[in-house]
Amino acid sequence: MVQERRILYEHLDVPDINTFDVFRQYDGYKHFEMTIKEYKPEEICDMVMQSGLKGRGGAGFSTGLKWSFVPRDIEPRYLCCNADESEPGTFSNRYVLEKNPHLLIEGILICCYAMGINTAYIYIRGEFTLGKRMLDAALNEAYQHGYLGKNILGSGFDLDVYSHPGAGAYICGEETGLIESLEGKRGQPRVKPPFPAVEGLFHKPTVVQNVETLCNLPFLMGRGVEWYTSIGRTYGDTRFNPPQSDPNTGTKLYCISGDVNKPGVYELDLGLTAEELIEVAGGVKGERVKAVIPGGSSAPILTHYELECRLDFTSLTLWKSMLGSGGIIVMNETRNIVDCLLNIMKFYAHESCGQCTPCRWGTPWVRDIVQRIVDGEGRQTTIQRPKFGITASGRWGDTGEMEEVYEDLDLLESVANNIANVDTMTWNTICVFGIAVSWPAVSYLRKFRPEFEAAIRDGELVTLPIEEATVPPEENYAYQQRIVPGLFEP
Amino acid sequence: MSDKLIEIETPFQFSAENQREFDQLIQRYPVKEAAMLPTLHLAQRQAGYISPAVMEYVAELLELPVMKVKDVVTFYPMFFEEPVGKYVIRVCYTLPCALRDCKLVLEHIKQKFNIDVASETDLAKGTTPDGKFTLLKSECLASCDVAPVVMVNDDLHKNLTPQKMDEILDSLE
Ligand SMILES: Cc1cc2nc3c(=O)[nH]c(=O)nc-3n(C[C@H](O)[C@H](O)[C@H](O)COP(=O)(O)O)c2cc1C
Ligand code: SF4
Ligand code: FES
Repeated sequence: MVQERRILYEHLDVPDINTFDVFRQYDGYKHFEMTIKEYKPEEICDMVMQSGLKGRGGAGFSTGLKWSFVPRDIEPRYLCCNADESEPGTFSNRYVLEKNPHLLIEGILICCYAMGINTAYIYIRGEFTLGKRMLDAALNEAYQHGYLGKNILGSGFDLDVYSHPGAGAYICGEETGLIESLEGKRGQPRVKPPFPAVEGLFHKPTVVQNVETLCNLPFLMGRGVEWYTSIGRTYGDTRFNPPQSDPNTGTKLYCISGDVNKPGVYELDLGLTAEELIEVAGGVKGERVKAVIPGGSSAPILTHYELECRLDFTSLTLWKSMLGSGGIIVMNETRNIVDCLLNIMKFYAHESCGQCTPCRWGTPWVRDIVQRIVDGEGRQTTIQRPKFGITASGRWGDTGEMEEVYEDLDLLESVANNIANVDTMTWNTICVFGIAVSWPAVSYLRKFRPEFEAAIRDGELVTLPIEEATVPPEENYAYQQRIVPGLFEP
Repeated sequence: MSDKLIEIETPFQFSAENQREFDQLIQRYPVKEAAMLPTLHLAQRQAGYISPAVMEYVAELLELPVMKVKDVVTFYPMFFEEPVGKYVIRVCYTLPCALRDCKLVLEHIKQKFNIDVASETDLAKGTTPDGKFTLLKSECLASCDVAPVVMVNDDLHKNLTPQKMDEILDSLE
């Protein structure tokens, strides 16, 4: 069985690790002390770039690359640590904040030293009252011991870190929504570009980074790039000639919940399969896995045919899903996918910030269609439309045939695709919340269409046996178009 | 006809302790407006909810039009514009909790107090007549591993069943 590799979470359960003294006993702040003595800021940026560290908050964007966009000649620059953790199914940041907040502060110190930042804000979810208390206490201690404030450890480097509470809006997790919210406004995302790296908080260059991403930094600096890149998998991106390396390095704090015997956070090397992860989490609770959400509720769902997919940024993207925040939700044979979709769509309909018409209107519309189907009132009229599937050339596309579908299912797909188009990956909205809505809607529908059809036909929710509920692999758009990435060989 | 044509609300003011906390946090930001959320949290903790008087006070402190404060208050679900119960119960209702029967817990509380679930626009229907409890549905509280979860004011309760919920609620003064 795949073994856990605890790095970020190694000392999580040590009693009182949240206090400065105990944290020090376990080598806390040592990596920072070493870094500030031995490395110049540019060297740290280079190391982060070489490590291949990808942001753990959702987008999986290269941290080193993000840092390289920050103009060095504009002062002041800011760091916003994203501790808003509200993606359904995700709960790894909470444990860091509640149990080991000094580790986050050490990560912030390294990031700010590398980027020449003197002010950092930790935007912490409003509901995290305990986390905020622990974090504030840790910040106080860090100030007292001279690890924050002016002239830290006599190095001439100044840093102030403040915690800032959110107030219950999911969209404030989106980086520009977070910035607006921090500025004291409604948390409505900004049009990008300009990206926050260039113009962010108070219209200054700003690095936005997730808690987990920052917590990687002390270990990366302390143990080196070679060690870091030896963990996880590095793929070859063959769109380039010669192939470029596409790193999925380091560990990931996989959060697993739903129908498994031992839900929780498991720190594992990036790139184990969904099947393996479920095994680590004590196996499925119930008979069999019907479906898995691989990256928070915004991620397209995986059917039981797709459990061999590796849970890393590259693989999931090439399977038309995403690792997102690493929140894995497992559903067993007793679950009705239409009902699950309704739950998720209620969430998004409530959380749309309301700026863009496709999202403000489309999201409740999608919810209402699903609600109607769940209530047994799905429209039974049918329409003809072109059938997509495997064409004569063996590729996925328009087969030239027609198919008959329930009007409501066509409407559902069409409304969702007009918020953000799943096939072309284009969106008609300001932020990618739009994709977070249409991805689940369209993927659940396309992959579990028989269950939607049964609900409309029978006028009530019908939970079909797994094989009947799931579209077979040869008709599964994502499975047919998937690419299995190859490992990188220089 | 009542004696007063307009009910004038008593003006709001920070307690000495909260004033000290405010003085500290206002220094953290290059612009005063940025202190909005922490200031509103502080005010709500003292006043129980964000009344028009609170909004005016906060607007004055942050040197902003009252409308800007109202704009923010209406956006964030954690700020209440009407009085709420002494204990605010938030039952997480998102998928992982739903897979673990949060519905049973919610229905149980509804029956126990004979109240509905409060909505952002109607808090009264989810509040017990004695003003002790307000029942709200909540989005994922980032504790799905110990689902179903419920927050009662600042405290998170895990792995709940209707019985456990009873014990917790009955123990509250
Ligand atoms: C709707 C939406 C919600 C998001 N919520 C969060 C969140 O709760 N926490 C988080 O770290 N990132 C969240 N993100 C991702 C952030 O926009 C951003 O990519 C991330 O904080 C960058 O940090 P990273 O590179 O370290 O991952 C969200 C994005 C979107 C579009
Ligand atoms: S897509 Fe939705 S959440 Fe994002 S900015 Fe537009 S309305 Fe707001
Ligand atoms: S769904 Fe309830 S805590 Fe995540």
